[in-house]
Amino acid sequence: MIQFHNVSLAYQKDATALENISFKVAKGEFVFLTGPSGAGKTTLLKLVYGALCPSRGQVLVNGQNISRLSAAEIPFLRRNVGVVFQDFKLLQHRTVFENVAITLEVAGCSTVDIGKRVIHILRQMGMESKINLTPPRLSGGEQQRVALARALVNEPRILLADEPTGNLDEANKTQILNIFKEANVKGTTVIVATHDRRLIEQTHQRIITLRSGNLFETGEAGHAEVCP
Amino acid sequence: MQKFAHKRPAMTTTGAGGRLSYFLARVIANMRQNPFVNLVTIGTITLALLIVSLFLLVFVNLENAAESWSEKVQVTIYFDRELTQQQQTDLKNRIVAIPETSRVNWVGREEALKRFKGRLRGQETLLDGIRAEILPASFEITLKKKSRSSEAVDAYVTRLRSISGMGEIQYGEEWVRRFNTFLAFMRVVGALLGGFLVLAVVFIVANTIRLTIYARRDELEVMSLVGATRLFIKMPFLLEGLIQGLAGGLLSLLLLFATYELFLHNSGNFLTFNPAAAGLAFLPFEYCAALLVSGVVLGVLGSLTALRRFMSDSSG
Repeated sequence: MIQFHNVSLAYQKDATALENISFKVAKGEFVFLTGPSGAGKTTLLKLVYGALCPSRGQVLVNGQNISRLSAAEIPFLRRNVGVVFQDFKLLQHRTVFENVAITLEVAGCSTVDIGKRVIHILRQMGMESKINLTPPRLSGGEQQRVALARALVNEPRILLADEPTGNLDEANKTQILNIFKEANVKGTTVIVATHDRRLIEQTHQRIITLRSGNLFETGEAGHAEVCP
Repeated sequence: MQKFAHKRPAMTTTGAGGRLSYFLARVIANMRQNPFVNLVTIGTITLALLIVSLFLLVFVNLENAAESWSEKVQVTIYFDRELTQQQQTDLKNRIVAIPETSRVNWVGREEALKRFKGRLRGQETLLDGIRAEILPASFEITLKKKSRSSEAVDAYVTRLRSISGMGEIQYGEEWVRRFNTFLAFMRVVGALLGGFLVLAVVFIVANTIRLTIYARRDELEVMSLVGATRLFIKMPFLLEGLIQGLAGGLLSLLLLFATYELFLHNSGNFLTFNPAAAGLAFLPFEYCAALLVSGVVLGVLGSLTALRRFMSDSSG
């Protein structure tokens, strides 16, 4: 589903964010992307949803080379890649319903269809009683669930999450992790970028580790092995 | 491996009508959410267009005045001696015989004094002791419409001079020519000033709209990240610009008309003539339509230029 072939990315001439990275994520896989702050986790995710292009190498998402996509093709890629951002990126003056509905609106769904699907996903997230509230009136965990609902409402093939449990308590972390697992069980390929070791240890999923823009890979949590 | 669909999913009511109603609903919601910013934008467009339209109104009326004055070219023959009835008739017949003559009117010395007094209404005492004999008698000749060009008037005057017993011939050609030169100068200055004004207006409106879009840049970013096409993101902003421009255009026309009417009603207080009777008119329909279109273009272009910047910022 996702392939990186010798990918390097430099924001500036001598500021390399990623250095010669290669890995594959199969369809339906659940992968943790980990590493210290500044290791390049967010940059790597940005390459997957077409916000950045590699300076060298190739990024293939579902067989499509990101570098070769035109500006007009990027939106159609993004409709199949749900992203949960570290800062949630919720529209503060729009209600929970409107924040989630935006994903379906841009895809051209009908009002009736949008209503049904948004309410369904919000019910799954336990947020149906808050559909008319705006984000400033929600807790951090609730905002995270709205962001997740927005990313999942159109049933994307890929789900990317950037530090999704950063400011959450243990109960909320577990709930969010369960939502990721459910999406994964339904066939969505999931990549979660985090440096939360406890979150990773709760599952036995594959881990990709980045350090200073270089890639190290482990099989499962606790069994580290450095990639060649 | 099957690639992602590059077409919008076939879902119900995705036609142009459904899209437009969605965009309009979005525009109305946005305008309700940010009433102050929208009012500022509409106000800026209104004021900007009002300045341009006031300038146009003055200019159009000056042009009209020049045109009507140039049409009133009259040739006057002054006589410093009194003509007998026979001499008057003879001369009049010979003038009328020239085909370009439209009308000939004799103004005797008494009539001339009466007119003079008429012009000095309220200050007639200045003319106390002045007798009609000091003023010249004259023939006032109006030319046919097709013979009012400066060349035709010159030729006509040459023919008049060939008639014996003719007095001093004067015609307004000189000042009309000067006025036309002034008007040509005004046109150049007007075009320059108008050009600068339009540039300033475009700049101000584009920046005002840029501020409104800046306030909603998070919306642009999120829409882009969840897979909205550029057109989908731009459309509500362009429609908003269009509505703001149209509203600004309409308001500026209303204000201009109100200013014009106010001027007409109060002009008696500071003008010695009735401006409406002197030919003062409101902007012709084409100019009003052009102002409305300018408002719309300003709104849409302002949005477009602002979007171009923020879209490139938020596309990543």
